[in-house]
Amino acid sequence: MTRHRTLRRMLAFAAIAALPLPANAHKLAEKGTPVTIADSTLSVTPTRDWNRLSGRIGAHAERWTLDGEQLNDVTFYAGVAPGEPLLRERSKKKDPLPKFRQDMLLAEVPELLERTYRTGRDARDFQLSGAAPGKFLGRDGVTFAYQVTDSEGLIRKGEARAAAVNGKLYLVTFDAPRLHYFDQVVDDARALMGSATL
Amino acid sequence: MIRRSTWWAAAAGLLLAGPAAAQPAALPPPYQGAYQPHGVDEIGLWHEADEEERQLAASPLRIRDERLTGYVTSVLCATVGDDRCGSVRVYVIRAPMFNASMTPNGTMRVYSGLLLRLRNEAELATVLGHEFGHYERRHTLAAFKERRSGTDAVAWMALLTSLGASYQTMQNFQNFQLAVYGGFFRHGRDQEREADKLGIAYLNRSSLRPQSATVVWQHMMAEAEASASAKGLKKPNFRYIAFAASHPPYAERAAYLAELAAPDGADRDDGTERYRAALAPFLAQFLDDQIKLNDFGASEYLIQNLATAGWTATLWLKRGDLYRTRGAPRDLAAAADFYAHAVQLDPTLAEAHRGLGLSLMKTGRPSEAVAPLQTYLRLRPDAVDAGMIQTIIPGGPQ
Repeated sequence: MTRHRTLRRMLAFAAIAALPLPANAHKLAEKGTPVTIADSTLSVTPTRDWNRLSGRIGAHAERWTLDGEQLNDVTFYAGVAPGEPLLRERSKKKDPLPKFRQDMLLAEVPELLERTYRTGRDARDFQLSGAAPGKFLGRDGVTFAYQVTDSEGLIRKGEARAAAVNGKLYLVTFDAPRLHYFDQVVDDARALMGSATL
Repeated sequence: MIRRSTWWAAAAGLLLAGPAAAQPAALPPPYQGAYQPHGVDEIGLWHEADEEERQLAASPLRIRDERLTGYVTSVLCATVGDDRCGSVRVYVIRAPMFNASMTPNGTMRVYSGLLLRLRNEAELATVLGHEFGHYERRHTLAAFKERRSGTDAVAWMALLTSLGASYQTMQNFQNFQLAVYGGFFRHGRDQEREADKLGIAYLNRSSLRPQSATVVWQHMMAEAEASASAKGLKKPNFRYIAFAASHPPYAERAAYLAELAAPDGADRDDGTERYRAALAPFLAQFLDDQIKLNDFGASEYLIQNLATAGWTATLWLKRGDLYRTRGAPRDLAAAADFYAHAVQLDPTLAEAHRGLGLSLMKTGRPSEAVAPLQTYLRLRPDAVDAGMIQTIIPGGPQ
């Protein structure tokens, strides 16, 4: 059991070495220009410039950031159909992720995100700090806030909005370290989330 | 043939040269007094471990509970003896997996997922004794030296291969490289076996029941089977050793631990009651961390196991959560039933009322859902999701 950590480090090192060069990896979303998210019908109009990360973490997911996804991360989940997970599964059979379900209540969406973070991102703690009805995409939805601790012990704050439209889940989250980064960018992130339309 | 044997002789010479030259004189055991590390390698490893321990001590994932930490430490002391355990600092970490580890400087990490899975003090002693065995025998240091001499040999072989490059020499080099890397893993598994044997030896000498050691691995196999079966995977092979396996397979460990347990210890106390009492304040949280991992089979197995001591409101509540979040129609009906049991045992358990209401709502019984959801809001008027629950109460505010 003692060398579990060493092995993990070796694997992490190998993974880094195997990464492709990030030439033209990311795109710029310019202020005032509408952008379509993850080839869906969801679009947003940023109020400042954002970076759109190219790595697809889920079939309907797209990640935006200002300083890197570890420091500020707006993730859109645009039209998750019933039976689909939020993030891409490492192994559909061995490590399945929780799925969105047709009969899921909006009050259960925070639980879906929590279980996804715990399973897919190795989150160790997730505290919901608020969940209230709120408009999203012009529909009745849910707005919620949380605090999540990752496996390294870093605490992030998060805020999210969600709504179900025609049986599909539309969810947008903003996560950033509790210390400094969350408060620094939260207004920009809220403006971005608020600009989402279908 | 001649060429191949020359290569192997050269390789073997290189491999043997490393450790032989670095053989130190017998050192005092690391647990003795205020032991100070000897030699650059050990000093380096201790330095790293000290730094990691500093971070660990400040980590939000550390469970800062004096009683729980004190309890785990007391079990360690009862296992390895007071003369040895004084050199160890125990840290209980919030992580939902079955694991514990020990670094060369005497830092013992015990994961919450391990505590959730064990059933008594003797099982805990098995794991703690095993980890202490790694520390006592300086396994990290030995593995580090082995890796260094092995990779040195591979580097020299690469150089020699490049001098006489041909298809055959490349092939030989690749075989050699695989053999060396395979050797690291095999060495690691041998260290685990040695630590297991030390652990059971401690247990045999303690006042706890050594027959519990094998039970740890029997339960691990049963849990893995339950997990695989719920995922629709075939039954795992508990005898198979993968090339890069860090530990011996479960079946092997269960077998030799059963064999090595002192027969006269069979009627000793296994400390089940003390263990349950120490874990009781943390059970709900540890179980919650487990059921949210989306591993239905393993979670259900663990709940059933805990319930052998009697069903509690917490167990019914967590089982309800497990079924409701899997969410098939039959799961929702079962969840409603489990929550109803929880509410019956503890009518003040707000989350159970919430779960019951949500499950009834989703099984097409919204009129029955009203009362439990209202009870939830009455018990927890300041619940963080009160606003959301209000909106789904039929006839409630929109």
